Amino acid sequence: MSAFEPTIQTAEKRAVWAWRPFALTLPALVLLAAVIGYPLLTIVLRSLSEPAWGVQNYAWFFGAPVNLAVLQRTFSISAWVTLVCVVCAYPYAYLMTAVGPRMRLILVLCVLIPFWVSGVVRTLSWVILLQDSGVINSLLRSAGFAGIRLIRTQTGVVIGMAQVLLPFMILPLYSVMKGIDLRLVQAARSLGARPSRAFLTVYLPLSLPGVYAGAIIVFILALGFYITPALLGGPRSTMLSTLVQTQVLSLLQWGRGGAMGVVLLVTTFLLLALAAPVMRSRHREAGRR
Amino acid sequence: MLKSKLAGLGAVLALGMLTTTAFAQEKPVAGEVKEGSLKGKTLTFVSYGGIYQDGQVAALKEFVDKSGVKLLNDGPTEIAKLQAQVESGNVTWDVVDTGDLPPYVHCGKLFQKLDLSKLDVSKIPEGQVGECSVPAMNYGVVLMYNKEKYKDNPPKNWADFFDAEKFPGVRALDGSGDPTGGLLEQAFKVAGGDPKAMTAADIDKALDVIRKLGPDTIYWKTGAESQQLAESGEADMLMMWTGRAMTAVKNGAKYAPAWQDWLVVMDQMTIPVGVKDTDAAYALLNAYLGKESQEILAQQTSYTPINNDAKPKVDDSVAAFLTNTPERQKQGYKQNIKFWVENFPVAQEKWSALMAGN
Repeated sequence: MSAFEPTIQTAEKRAVWAWRPFALTLPALVLLAAVIGYPLLTIVLRSLSEPAWGVQNYAWFFGAPVNLAVLQRTFSISAWVTLVCVVCAYPYAYLMTAVGPRMRLILVLCVLIPFWVSGVVRTLSWVILLQDSGVINSLLRSAGFAGIRLIRTQTGVVIGMAQVLLPFMILPLYSVMKGIDLRLVQAARSLGARPSRAFLTVYLPLSLPGVYAGAIIVFILALGFYITPALLGGPRSTMLSTLVQTQVLSLLQWGRGGAMGVVLLVTTFLLLALAAPVMRSRHREAGRR
Repeated sequence: MLKSKLAGLGAVLALGMLTTTAFAQEKPVAGEVKEGSLKGKTLTFVSYGGIYQDGQVAALKEFVDKSGVKLLNDGPTEIAKLQAQVESGNVTWDVVDTGDLPPYVHCGKLFQKLDLSKLDVSKIPEGQVGECSVPAMNYGVVLMYNKEKYKDNPPKNWADFFDAEKFPGVRALDGSGDPTGGLLEQAFKVAGGDPKAMTAADIDKALDVIRKLGPDTIYWKTGAESQQLAESGEADMLMMWTGRAMTAVKNGAKYAPAWQDWLVVMDQMTIPVGVKDTDAAYALLNAYLGKESQEILAQQTSYTPINNDAKPKVDDSVAAFLTNTPERQKQGYKQNIKFWVENFPVAQEKWSALMAGN
């Protein structure tokens, strides 16, 4: 950067230079303001102004038990999906760092190819696998077991959503893991640590930033899921987005739909705010070691 | 001299007025449109896509060719989108196909009150023209049951459908969106009520009958899903749209209909408030109602035509599910539209609570 900068600057010039990076992000900022900021503002306004000014839509939301039950369910399903994703993605991402380049390419493709297929198609494939007369239950029955109900249950929804969201967990994890110096683990081993000990005290803490990044992305995306719960779930796995859809598209209650969206957004922010200090402290700890 | 000239002038004027009024009062005939009358104009037609909208477009082909109009297609119909257009004063949807109730719920607000002098509604089945709508087609919601499961003792009506003790098995209901008024009325009858005297509070009683079917009950989200449930045998008894029931049976599903009290439903054709060229929209509607158009529609989609003269050429599998035969007309059950329009928000609220597992 010094190549472009004169050695002696006036304060004014320095200020101009400091603004350069921001100027570069201007197109993105304008786009964000137009396609996210403005609609979001409209939604907040409508939630407070329709049919009249006031908080009646929020009063309605918190007054109806079904809304609270579904809100709670939305968070619990998302949490389960995140957990399943972490458990499945962690060893997979580790394997990606451990194998040779050709095998790694295959592993990357295994993640990316389903990722490129439309979510609807993947969800419909899950219908075929999970339904009572589907592949899984046919196999179970032909092996002499009783069939299990998977479709139209929360389990089915969690399975389908976890598969759709898995790449969002694997990729951040992999990008962190490939930066971890494996010699640190070897050093721990050479100093007498058992493999499990070396993993828990050296590797795991170093990989945690990837876990956090992936978990946050997966969790937030899961909160807004619509198609998968609609197709794989039943009434007992309805998520908030379905209720928003009913309010807006069927009842034309934009205010109520907006209020639901705002509640979901604010609750998400609150949860993230609660989680942030934990993540930061762990981060520092990992850095110290 | 002057007097006779004036008289002549008067006669000419009177004649002129007579011809213009005669022209204005020229009765439209369903299915007809003037050659080249809409040249250079564009109409946007909105419906639900799939083979249905394809069939509608095919039904309108002659209208397009003859009038010279440019027909654009959009969809699927979403009342919220239409509302946004009407509110912003920028209505781009000229003719909109909707479900049963919206034209009644939003009549005069989102949908224009129809000027029936601009349409020929004489061939439409009785009682189907609304203040803001003409029918787009008829179909039914029919009880389909698994023939292999129930064998010699099949369910015969909705009372059997709601009787899980006498007829064990998995039920599948329409969970695609709005509640089906006719089904709730049938459920209320099972609860011992009289649908004709139903009140808003009775909706709960009807819903309790549905709740009693238990947690295994399936609420299908799309017509395709209902068809899949029958073809794979996932559900033993289903409420199905006749078009989907017909296709499922055609594809080999071993299911049969119980026609008693099949629920009469229809799609509606509407003109939104604030369209740019109302007369062009009327011309499209009038052409759509014609005999040939309705025959094409029925042949392509298997939905029942809404022109009494229409005689579509369909094979037996399709004909078995057409609902305009005298026998079917006798068995059909019409929902209390007025009640459901008045109680639409309440019903929807309670229905979506049921759909959300409460």
